[in-house]
This record gives sequence, structure tokens and C-alpha cells, in this order.
Amino acid sequence: MKRSILRGFGLAAVAAVALAGCSSSNNSGSGGSTPTSGGSTAASSAPSSAPSSAPSSASEAAVTLTMSGWTFSTTPEFKTLADAFHAAHPNVTIQLKEYDAKNYDTQMTADLAAGKAPDIYELKNLQDFITYQSGGQLMDVSDVAASYSSGPGKLSGLDDYKVDGKYYAIPYRQDSWVLFYNKDLFAKAGVPVPDGKWTWDDFVTNAEKLTTALKAAGDKDALGTYFHSWQSVIQGFAQSQTPGASVTGDDYSYLKPYYQRALELQSKGAMLSFNTASTQKATYQAEFGKQNAAMMPMGTWYIATLLSQQASGDADKFNWGIAPIPQYDSSTFSNPVTFGDPTGMAINPAIDKSKVAAAKEFLSFVGGQDAASDLAKIGITPAYVSDQVTQTIFSAPGAPTDDLSKWTFSNHTTKPENPVSKYTQKIQSILNDEHTAIMSGSKSVDSAISDADKRVKNEALNQ
Amino acid sequence: MTTTALRSPSRSRAHKRRRLVVRNIVVGWSFLLPNFLGFAVLTLVPVVALFYLSFTDWNIFGHANWIGLANFRRLVHDDSFRIAVENTIYYTAFHVPLTLAVSLGLALLLNRKMRGVAFFRTAAFFPYVTSIVAIAVVWNMMLSPEKGPVNHLLNVIGISHPPGWSTSTTWSMPTIIIVGTWREMGYFMLLFLAGLQTIPPELHDAARVDGASAWQRFRKVTLPYLRPTTFFVTVILTIWSLKVFDLILVMTNGGPGQSTLVLSQYIYKTGFENSEFGYASAVSVALFFICIFITAIQFYVNRRRNR
Amino acid sequence: MTTTTRVNPPTGIAGIAAPSARKPSARSRVGRGLGYLVLAVAAAAVMLPFFWMLLSSLKANNDVFAIPIQWIPKTWHWNNYVHIWDKAAMGTWLENTLILAVAVTVLQVLTGSFAAYGFSRIRFPGRDLLFFLYVATIAVPWQAYMIPQFILFSKLSLSDSRWSIIALQAFGAFGVFLMRQYYQSIPEELNESARIDGMSEYGIYRKIMLPLSMPAIASLSLITFVTTWNDYLGPLIYLRSPNLWTIQLGLQTFISQYNADYALIMTGSVLSVLPIAIIFMLGQRYFVQGIATTGLKG
Repeated sequence: MKRSILRGFGLAAVAAVALAGCSSSNNSGSGGSTPTSGGSTAASSAPSSAPSSAPSSASEAAVTLTMSGWTFSTTPEFKTLADAFHAAHPNVTIQLKEYDAKNYDTQMTADLAAGKAPDIYELKNLQDFITYQSGGQLMDVSDVAASYSSGPGKLSGLDDYKVDGKYYAIPYRQDSWVLFYNKDLFAKAGVPVPDGKWTWDDFVTNAEKLTTALKAAGDKDALGTYFHSWQSVIQGFAQSQTPGASVTGDDYSYLKPYYQRALELQSKGAMLSFNTASTQKATYQAEFGKQNAAMMPMGTWYIATLLSQQASGDADKFNWGIAPIPQYDSSTFSNPVTFGDPTGMAINPAIDKSKVAAAKEFLSFVGGQDAASDLAKIGITPAYVSDQVTQTIFSAPGAPTDDLSKWTFSNHTTKPENPVSKYTQKIQSILNDEHTAIMSGSKSVDSAISDADKRVKNEALNQ
Repeated sequence: MTTTALRSPSRSRAHKRRRLVVRNIVVGWSFLLPNFLGFAVLTLVPVVALFYLSFTDWNIFGHANWIGLANFRRLVHDDSFRIAVENTIYYTAFHVPLTLAVSLGLALLLNRKMRGVAFFRTAAFFPYVTSIVAIAVVWNMMLSPEKGPVNHLLNVIGISHPPGWSTSTTWSMPTIIIVGTWREMGYFMLLFLAGLQTIPPELHDAARVDGASAWQRFRKVTLPYLRPTTFFVTVILTIWSLKVFDLILVMTNGGPGQSTLVLSQYIYKTGFENSEFGYASAVSVALFFICIFITAIQFYVNRRRNR
Repeated sequence: MTTTTRVNPPTGIAGIAAPSARKPSARSRVGRGLGYLVLAVAAAAVMLPFFWMLLSSLKANNDVFAIPIQWIPKTWHWNNYVHIWDKAAMGTWLENTLILAVAVTVLQVLTGSFAAYGFSRIRFPGRDLLFFLYVATIAVPWQAYMIPQFILFSKLSLSDSRWSIIALQAFGAFGVFLMRQYYQSIPEELNESARIDGMSEYGIYRKIMLPLSMPAIASLSLITFVTTWNDYLGPLIYLRSPNLWTIQLGLQTFISQYNADYALIMTGSVLSVLPIAIIFMLGQRYFVQGIATTGLKG
């Protein structure tokens, strides 16, 4: 009896894995066939999953596309895009499928593996991109990309989705990191506001000056600056701004000056210590929004959040603005270098052949001007850069009106936070370990960097 | 089922014995089947698939290519794996005895009719029921090295350099051990309470009449009767400690550095963050064998004791 | 002789003087009072995180994680407890969580105790090895085989429905292990005498083993209930449609990509703990119900 059981299991195991292995090459209109009741709050759709019988032109027969999105109640961008597209192409309906914001990658990975992913899905960051691409989960959309002039200017981040000369996704959103600052606190401290021409050393000096001045002025809680506990706050700048620095190399000495500055700010009390911030679960929204920090490097997504929090009372009402992030040296003042990953849309290769044209039409739409202005109206930083977009963002009630803020928003070179390579995920994980070791005071910067060099070589590059 | 064994020839006796064995198999399996069917299909099959995958380079998408022992060879040279094993053993070696002692103590303490015992038992159980995120958040805040109340108190009583708790590579694991015990003590207290009910009170009365002290009663009456429960608790506690995951994920996420990186977390990272599912499966197999090895020892010791 | 909950004298744990049950004296009354005090302080300390959760549920969102810690809310937001019902689908989540927890518990206890009887009272070849195999699967971390299992479930059309969670949790090895251990402590003589009396194995299971194992069944039920109630990863992967969400999943919707309604998350968490605490408080005496009259003499 024992042997037959073993044999049975062996067969079953092989069967399970065979089924698993064949996930990329199959079948059924993924997800579209059973409109999982409650494909949610959004989408102007008839829950009719009428797959079209029609020819390739999207403008003729009725087509239903399924698309992913997360936490619809607080993230309106998906519905906005779906509705806008439907308005322009009434025969195409987009059905939204809701995912969890924090665990989007896990859920999407599971769905793709089981062949249940929707027709169109977002790439939330660049880390998973190469896995999806090499695993055949992204359709080649080079024809859509060709209609955009790639390179700096029109569609920021498009080249991040290029592998071997082919494009696999279209960015619709590109946040970059800028420096948020509290004009009222600067005034209280008597320190001149950033003029857009700061190096990191200038930043440190000003942060320390602010801290002392604010304390002298009687403000007990406010500090010069706040660095959130993410590795990107320090490493992202080091990697993007230092000439010759590479995430996927094996020499991380370029991180040293950035960490030294951060540690100095910490030890001088100019910013909340990493240990306190992480154990007390400091939130950057509260630190800046409640005026506990006069300056804060953060991504442009925070603009919308801050505006809505000021309106709702969750944040204090104060005057603020954005300035270019401090630079490595003065050579890049006219075109500040910063980092940020795009958010893109991709097509599931398992999509029904008859829907491909409509899907590509949608992808073309999301990177375009109309989508960009719709997104700008709800405070999202679109990948499509233009003066009109900047105008729209800054015309929201409560938004800063000074010229520097507007200039900052539209003038920058954004390098990817996670350059596309098969080693990136693993390396970032290693670098995160060293980040926590350095900032918690457990390891010196030098030994952490040499450990990083060693580990990256052994655990990532040599595999 | 007595048979007229005396007069039957030996072949008939053997025949009857075989019939008994067959009957036992049939009846035994009839009891097992409802649970076993679900278990076999829904759990055993994926687990076996997991073992198969450890010999491949599967990254979820595409085919799982057979690469033989390459993953296991990589394990041997993997520093992070070694660190994860050390941390896991460190956690288990301290967490198991501590939790055993505390939960048994609680069960003994609260196994009586006194006013408010229901409240105290519920209190002990609360940590297990509370969301793990809330637990991690509050403990981290209380143990915050610069602004937390615990270190404040330590300063007051004269300790000028209190430990960094979850922010220090030396103290992060002890912190997890303590929080883990605090969280699980109510759970195992419950199991011990159930086990304590199997002890006939007459035995305790008899022993008391014989003049045995409380400690002697505990050793000679309570403990032996508790053995099946203790065995169960020890095995489960050990396996859970070796598999500890969500507490570390929310409290320290393996940090600072890699000081609280444990095997389950390493598996999750390798599989879901680095998409190396074949390698993650190999690490799981390693963890599995560590668990089995330790559990087998426990089974063996228990069987010896039962003789 | 009916015995009800009877004292197991403590062994001096936590340094509490053992109150003699027969002759209360002044000293032992002070000892008992002190004991209560220590217990009360310990209980309060143990429940500290819960108090923090409770207080935080009444704060404004950005005050929940204010630095330094604020215990008492600056502004009291009692309407959080209203918002969570109308701003969010707490009712649906509660219902789903309840259905799942009950279904899984019933199935686990039934099939588990049933299988445990087979493992404990019936000898058949390969029994102990199979039992060891059962226990061994507890040793495999779920994250490891989560994906192959999800693929399998999807092929069986079991995902995105309540059945997926039920199938996932109801047939575990844990319940079998727990019940079997408990059965080991019930003397074989009971079975022997019942068999001699002509009862079938199924009858013995129903009429003798089940009633005798009330404490274990109560414990297993509670544990399974709580585990299913608080389960997060399982529903995350298997319950996608919003109308299937459990409480833990639902609370995550308060965490958007760049912000979080922390106070509401705490409100939901408090509401989530309360039913279990109540069930426990009401039912915990079943865990210590004495052995009924079955002529069980030493």
C-alpha cells in the first residue's frame, strides 16, 4: 500500500507542476470569463463579458477589457482612466478588478501563475518588471511606444520598459523625488528658503541651522528635516546622482558620503533618528503635515496627499512649496537629477486575440496628453510632461503658487530607482539589510559597504 | 471476539488474525478518510510539488527546468542561509523552554475556582487574539530606545545605557523571543488547562494524605499525567518556533541588518521578492528536514519514556 | 462521585503563596489578596497593547503614531465607530469572517477527532508512520507551497470563493495531532470494556471518546476559530471579490498607497477582537470541566 501511495503522489506532483509550468502558454480570456461579482465599485461597465467577435479595429464592435487596480476607495486613477477611455471609445468597456495596495505584487504574481490575471495590468514598480518580462507575461507593445518620442521630454520613463530594443509596457505615471519645505517654519527660523541651487552640503548646513533656530524661537517639536526610513531616501539619490554609480555593480563606495551626511544629521539632532522613526512608526505624512520637520525629501505623489490632508484637517494649514532635490554638485543645477520609478500599464499575453487592438489603443491612450490632464486634475503626476500638466497640478486649491515649485515640477532628469536587470531585486534586498544596519547604528558605514560589496558578489552576481 | 482458539488448527488461527488485521485496516481507514482525503489532495500534493520544485529553477512563470542538486549546492555556500539557520535555532532554543515554563505555570495557576479566574484566563489569551500588527506596533513603541517608556524606566533606576531592543543587532532576537512568548503563552496555557483536566483529583488527594509536598505532587502526579499534552505542546511549539514568520516580519523585518533573519522569512524573500522559487523551495526542504530531525528526536524520546 | 472543577494546588509559581483551601487564615487571606494584586497588574500589563489599540481607535489619523507616544487622544473621535459601518463594509466583512470561522472549525473538529480516533485506538499497519507524516507536514512553511497550492486550487475552480478557504484550513494535521494526543490520555480499558459489550468502533467514538474529550474539543474549536478569524495571507490570495472579504482583508483597504486611515484600522481591529474575547470568556469554563461520572477510578 505504501508503494502505490508513493507512486500516486509522484504522478500527482508531476501533474501539478506540469499544470504550473504551462501557465504562460494558455487559454481562456483570463479573468474576463467569470466577472467575479463585484469586479467592484468602479467601471462604467455592463458586467457583460461579451468577447467581441469582431475584426481588429477597436472602433467597431463592442469589446470588454479587464484591468487591474488597487484600493479603489482611495485610488481614483483607475476609474478615471477607464471612464475617460470609455468616453472617447464608447464601444470599449473596461471592467476593473480590485487588488490590495500593499500586496499587489504577491496577488498579481499568483494570478499570473494561475492564468487568472486580467487583460491589462499595472506594473507598480520596476522591480518585478524583469521577472514578468523574462517569464513571458508581458506583450510586446513596441508599436504603441513608437508613437511617442522617447528620450527626455515627452514620455518620462518609457525607456525603463525597454528590453532588447522592444518595449513591454507604457508608463502612465512617473513620480520623482523633490524637496518639500515649510515656508512658515523657514520664516519663523529666519532662514532663507531653498533657491533651487543647493548641494547636499548646503542642505545639511541649513537643516542644522533650522533646528537650532526653531528651538530658539520656542518650537519644541520641529526639526530641520525628516528622512523617512526607506532605503531609497539615501540610496536612491546616491545611485542616481553620483557619476558612474551603478546599482548592479559591485562597488558601493558611492554610498558613503550620503550615509555620512545622514548620520551627521541624526547625531546632531537635526532629524528624527532612524531608530525612533522606525520603532515609533513615524509616518512622513504626519511628520511634515504636522510641522515637525521644516524640510522633507519625498516623491511628488505627496503633493496630492498633502493637499487633501490640509483640506480635511488631518494636516495643519501652512504655506509650503517644493524645491529641486539637493544635488551632488553645481554642475546639474540647471537640470536637477533625481530618481523615481514609473508606473506602467502592460498587456497580458494571454488576452483574447480579438481584443488586442483595443488593449493597445488603451495603452496608447494612457500615455497621452488627454489622460495626462485627467490624471493631473486628481493630483497624479503623469508620465507625460508638459506645461499644461504643470498648470493643472498647481491650479488645485491650496497648491503652492511660487515659480520655483512649478519649475521644480517640470524640470528634472529622473533616473530609475530600480534599473532593469535580473540582479536588481536581489541587490536591493541586500542593500536594504545594510541600510538598516548603518542607520540603526549597528554597523559602521565602511564595514557595511564592504559587506555589501561582498554579499552582492556572492549572492547575486555569481548566480 | 473470542474464538475457540484451543480447538482450531494453527492455520485457522492465523486466518482469523489476518481477518482481524484486515478489519482493523478497513475500520482504521474509515476513520481517517474524511480528513485524509482533504489533506492529501489539498495539502500533500502541493507539498510534494514543492519538493520537486527544489530541484528546478522555477521562477513561477515559464517552465521549471530540472537542475538537479544545484540549488542545494548553492545553499551550502550561501552566507545568508547560514545566518538564517543560526537565527532560527537561536530563537527556538530559547523560545521553547521559556514559553513552556510560562504557559504551564499559568495553567497551573489559573486551574482553579477563584473569583475572576475567567477574567484572568481571558487576559492571558488576549495577546494571541490581538492583531499581530497592533502587537508589533505597541511593543516597538514601548521598547523605543530613545523615547520609549521601558528605557525611560531603566534610566530612572540607574541603568544609563539601556539596550537598544529591536534596533540593536544584539538585542533584537531576545526582544522577539520575549514578545513571542508573551503572545503565545495564553494559547499553550489553554492546551495545558485541557490536559490538566485528565488528572483524577483523587490522586492528588491521596498524595496529599500521604504527606507529599506540592512540588512532589507536581512531579509525581501532575507531570506524568500531562505527558501526552506536554509532548504535543513541545512538538508544536518547536515546529512553530522553527517556522516563525509573521511576528518577525511585522516587528523587525529581519533587521537591523540580518540579525533577525529567519528561515521562513528567507524563503518568503527569495520566493516573492527575488522570484527565485526553485531556490526558495530548496530552502524550504532544508527547513523541513531540520524540523523533522528535531521532531523525530522528540518522538523517540517520548516513546522511550512511554515504555 | 461527581467531581466538578477541583483545585490543583499550585506549585509556588510566581512566588505566590499557595492558599490552603481548607483553613483560611489571616496570613493566607493577605497572601491571597497580594496574589490577586499581582495577577491584576500582570493582566493589565499583558493587555497593554489592546488598551493602546482601543485608545488609538478614538484618535485622529495622524495622531495615532505621533511622536512621542500619546496614550490619551487629543481629540476624541467617537464617530470612528459609526464610520466603520457606513464608510466601510464592516458588516459584510464580519459576516464573511463568521461564516468561514464557524465552517472551518466544525469541519476541523469533526474530521480531526474522527481521524484521531483511528490513529489512537485502532492498530493497523503503517499507522504510526502515517501519523508521523501528518505531523511532518506541519513542518513545511505555508509560504513555500502557497503558489503551487494556489495553482492547484485554481485548476479545481476553488479560488475566489468561500470554499477555497474552507478547503484550505479544514483538513489540517494540527487538529488530528491535538485530538490524538488527548485520546492517548484516556485509558484503553474504557474502549476494551465497551468493545466487549459489543459496541462498534463508531459507537465508542460517539458515545465515549467525544464526550470525554470536551476540553480538547473546546480548545481545538477555539484555536481553530481564532486562527481562521485572524487569518490574513489565506484570504489575501484566495478571496479577491470585495463581497467575500474578511475583516483582516477589509481593514487593509484603509491603507492606500500613500496614506492610511490608521484610526479606522484600529477601530476595526478592536471590533474584530471583541467577539472572540466574549466567546472565550463565556466558554472558558468548558476547558476546565471536570471528568464526568464514568467510573473513572485511578
